[in-house]
Amino acid sequence: MSRVTRADDAVFRAISDPTRRRILDALAESEQAVGELVALFDVSQPAVSQHLRVLADAGLVQARRDGRRRLYRLRGRRLRAVHDWSAHYARFWDERLHALGRHLDARAERES
Amino acid sequence: MARTLVFRVDYAHPPAAVWDALTTREALTAWLMENDFEPRVGHRFSFRSKPMPGWSGIVDCEVLELDAPRRMVWRWRSDWIDTTVTFTLAATATGTRLELVHDGFEGLRGHFVSWMMRGWNRLLRVRLAARIAEDDTTNGSVR
Repeated sequence: MSRVTRADDAVFRAISDPTRRRILDALAESEQAVGELVALFDVSQPAVSQHLRVLADAGLVQARRDGRRRLYRLRGRRLRAVHDWSAHYARFWDERLHALGRHLDARAERES
Repeated sequence: MARTLVFRVDYAHPPAAVWDALTTREALTAWLMENDFEPRVGHRFSFRSKPMPGWSGIVDCEVLELDAPRRMVWRWRSDWIDTTVTFTLAATATGTRLELVHDGFEGLRGHFVSWMMRGWNRLLRVRLAARIAEDDTTNGSVR
């Protein structure tokens, strides 16, 4: 039904915050410096830095130096596990309801 | 932010047969999971399945509504989700249409399911797929 590891838990925690989700959305479009993210959202620079730290701890973003700037990028690999989880969840009922159909067919056949 | 999963399935069996499969312990074990279900409002029961990493394998439920043979609502709690599952049956020319609504995905996972399935669809299909491929290449391993 669902497979979520302890490491994925940190990912879920990280994405529970709407500002962090918006940051991830922005980083998915392109690499960004902290200042660019501050300009995009109505959030202070320390707040953005704090959010980026949480995202980095969860392994969702990666930073690299570019001269005096630090550029952040999205790490897709970490998101895949949670994406798989959510897809898995949606699939669960689909599969179970097919099983219900097979169960009904088998029972009708026994009774006929 | 709450996410609702809706499924509609047509079965070539009369509503009474479908209702029976939804409300008897043996039938629920056959198509869903092992359980101690009883068809009465307020009954608390559990589904038990093989535990997996990150999932206890247990779903704690309660019968919230029961209106034979039309509608049944369960509370559905498992680890970190507290949701409801509503079964609605309607007779059709060929049998029964079952609608299942799994509702109330709130909190962290709910946010995630919601987020993944709405605004993130485009992102996931295009960008994330590319990033995953890139990560796999640069890190030299495939999950």
